[in-house]
Amino acid sequence: MSSLAERQQHPLPSHSTPGRPAPFSRPGWQLWPGFAIAGALVLLSLAGLGALVWEASLPDISQLWQNRYLRTVVSFTIWQAFLSVLLSLLVAIPIARILARQPAFRGRAVLLRLMELSLVLPSIVAVSGLVSVYGRQGWFTGFASDWLGASWNLYGINGIVLAHVFFNAPLAARILLQATEGTPPSQLRVAAQLGLGRWWYWRAVEWPSIKPVLPGVAALVFTLCFTSFAIVMTLGGGPAATTIEVAIYQSLRFEFDSGQAALLAMVQLIICGFLWWLAARRGLTASLLPDRRVASHRTKAGSSPRARLADGTILGLFVLFLVMPLFAILIRGLPGMGSAFFPQGSFSANPALLDATMRSLAIALPAGLMAVCAALLILACGATSKRPAITRLTDVAAYLPLMIPPLVLGTGLFLLFRPSLGSSNEGLVLVTLINAMMALPFVLQMLKGPLGSLDSASRQQADQLGILGWYRWRWLHWPRMRKPLALAMAYGTGLSLGDFGVIALFGTPGQPTLPVLLYQQLGSYRMDAAAATGLWLVLLLLVLFSVFNQLGSPLHKTGFATKSPRSVPEPEHA
Amino acid sequence: MLEVRNLVFAYPDQESPWNFDFTVEPGQCIAVHGASGSGKSTLMNLLAGFLEPQSGDILWQNMSLRHHAPWHRPMTSVFQEHNLFEHLSVDANIGLGIHPGLKLTSRDQQAIDKGLQSVGLDGFGKRLPGDLSGGQRQRVALLRAILRQQPVLLLDEPLTGLDSDARDLLRQLLLDQKAQGTLIVLASHDEEDRRILADSIYKL
Repeated sequence: MSSLAERQQHPLPSHSTPGRPAPFSRPGWQLWPGFAIAGALVLLSLAGLGALVWEASLPDISQLWQNRYLRTVVSFTIWQAFLSVLLSLLVAIPIARILARQPAFRGRAVLLRLMELSLVLPSIVAVSGLVSVYGRQGWFTGFASDWLGASWNLYGINGIVLAHVFFNAPLAARILLQATEGTPPSQLRVAAQLGLGRWWYWRAVEWPSIKPVLPGVAALVFTLCFTSFAIVMTLGGGPAATTIEVAIYQSLRFEFDSGQAALLAMVQLIICGFLWWLAARRGLTASLLPDRRVASHRTKAGSSPRARLADGTILGLFVLFLVMPLFAILIRGLPGMGSAFFPQGSFSANPALLDATMRSLAIALPAGLMAVCAALLILACGATSKRPAITRLTDVAAYLPLMIPPLVLGTGLFLLFRPSLGSSNEGLVLVTLINAMMALPFVLQMLKGPLGSLDSASRQQADQLGILGWYRWRWLHWPRMRKPLALAMAYGTGLSLGDFGVIALFGTPGQPTLPVLLYQQLGSYRMDAAAATGLWLVLLLLVLFSVFNQLGSPLHKTGFATKSPRSVPEPEHA
Repeated sequence: MLEVRNLVFAYPDQESPWNFDFTVEPGQCIAVHGASGSGKSTLMNLLAGFLEPQSGDILWQNMSLRHHAPWHRPMTSVFQEHNLFEHLSVDANIGLGIHPGLKLTSRDQQAIDKGLQSVGLDGFGKRLPGDLSGGQRQRVALLRAILRQQPVLLLDEPLTGLDSDARDLLRQLLLDQKAQGTLIVLASHDEEDRRILADSIYKL
């Protein structure tokens, strides 16, 4: 320990710590890269949209109400999204309430993970599972017609809404559950002491916690259903059941009418943009992705055996609803797996499936990585900046991909870069870029919480000790972020791996990705091959999640940071 | 010499601002005391650079610190609690005080080991802060502050809530630091702490 004389040789050190300042410690390093990316995202989106409008002779806006087809498309899109939101919430609210009331039943954690699957399960695979259960030859359809005498057609609005509920009810329930779990324990104790009945428990405890997030959840589900593509493509069943996104695809791919596509894109942008503007204005977008922590301590509202039986029945039906299509994917896919890899008993592997797998991974892995890097930089920029305009720009950049149809964005950018976009490989680069953009809002939400979890006392300590820039990232953020980053990477990659939107427009039929191959097999009624491809895609996703989970776990004790943070809950993945 | 000259600060909803004005020599301890809400912690945060004063100045050896970031000020703070990074071992917590990137030489590591021994925590280096008692955590925080070798120590109720053995040990550590020329600004409710450690009292 040094003496005063030694210290007074350097009365005011240029830096309070020995050696050079921490790498990347200037505030600009946290601000400008994220600002540049957010700005580039906004510019790319606007330029893409602008290029499409510029290239096309934009039809008269009055076409929207004069042209019967366009009128039908817009009104059907709104109607199916509205129905999907309504039914999703009608399922989600009771499920969230039951899960909150029953905090300790066996399999709860598995069910919660299962409910998160909807975020990454490729729509096209889920649709093949839904067809197996609810299609013409489906298990449920057979049961309904034999026992209930009911007839049912999956194709059209029925199937679209059913698939949307399959995807969005679990997501909504997970978010609402998180909201109810945020109720202060003291309130729960008071409610338990007073012995509130179901109705009053709902009025006094559950509704006040759900109410603030409900409009945001509704906006999220509405946007997801409004912009849904793969589900409507496969289950739409004709012009009467076409959404804006599918109409844009048809305009671009078959009718070569980019003016109509641009007009429809702008309708979508205005409706979704208005919705998100409303949501963001009221601060409703703050917790729109499920927190992955599972609350385990909770005061139970008194529940009678009869009530528990009712809860169990509803939960059982919900589990059946979720599991049956997944089970169908497994049952139908397994027998075809052998022949999918080794066709007609040959020992040489099926090049089509392997090529599609490699192509999918070649797009999905860079897309996931790009989404994660962009999200981190945008979040750092938003946190560092003191200017409201920059913070607003990062918010807009984060949610813009949810509003602009990826097909429109892709086409616009294709037109913009056309002179230099020649080969199909360059088209795939564009697909990668757009997939990364599409994954960005979800990845961003996943990383937002953990990145902001450093408390103010720790930040002050770090400031004083000069733990800045790279050092702060290495020693304070990285231990908290390792697992969420791996998870975000898995989700980003998974979303891109299952993409059947942009690739449908830019991919060439001879060079399919796995979802495109699956669509081609479904289209040519090679159901066994389609089932095997679907199962292979799901297995690939599971492998991907396991690998990233391993990468997110500390491998061995190194140097000083010997243990995982105990105070920082590390999320597990599905 | 540390001079606090007409340092004025008020929170947005505060009617009358605080005004701090005092001088301390190296090797001395000034004890700041006053009722809750009298501005003790605010003064500490102003000195450390966590808060920006509305006017006035802080001078160290006649050089203004007013526009220096916390990491450029010749000071180390120890608060009543929340001094340690919970996910890092005791060694790492102390090591970060020596080098913010934990690039430690074997001499640094020896200093940490020796320091831990001197505060009665020999063999605790690999433990996490959550495994330590309140007194042990404060000893680690103080050891880090000492090994950081800054000429000014800002102590905000560092001994509050500790048992008498831990208090005695930490008081002795602080007296040793004073003897070596460290300037201490101590915010404390405790009269005995002030009597033993302080050379002057600044009442708020």
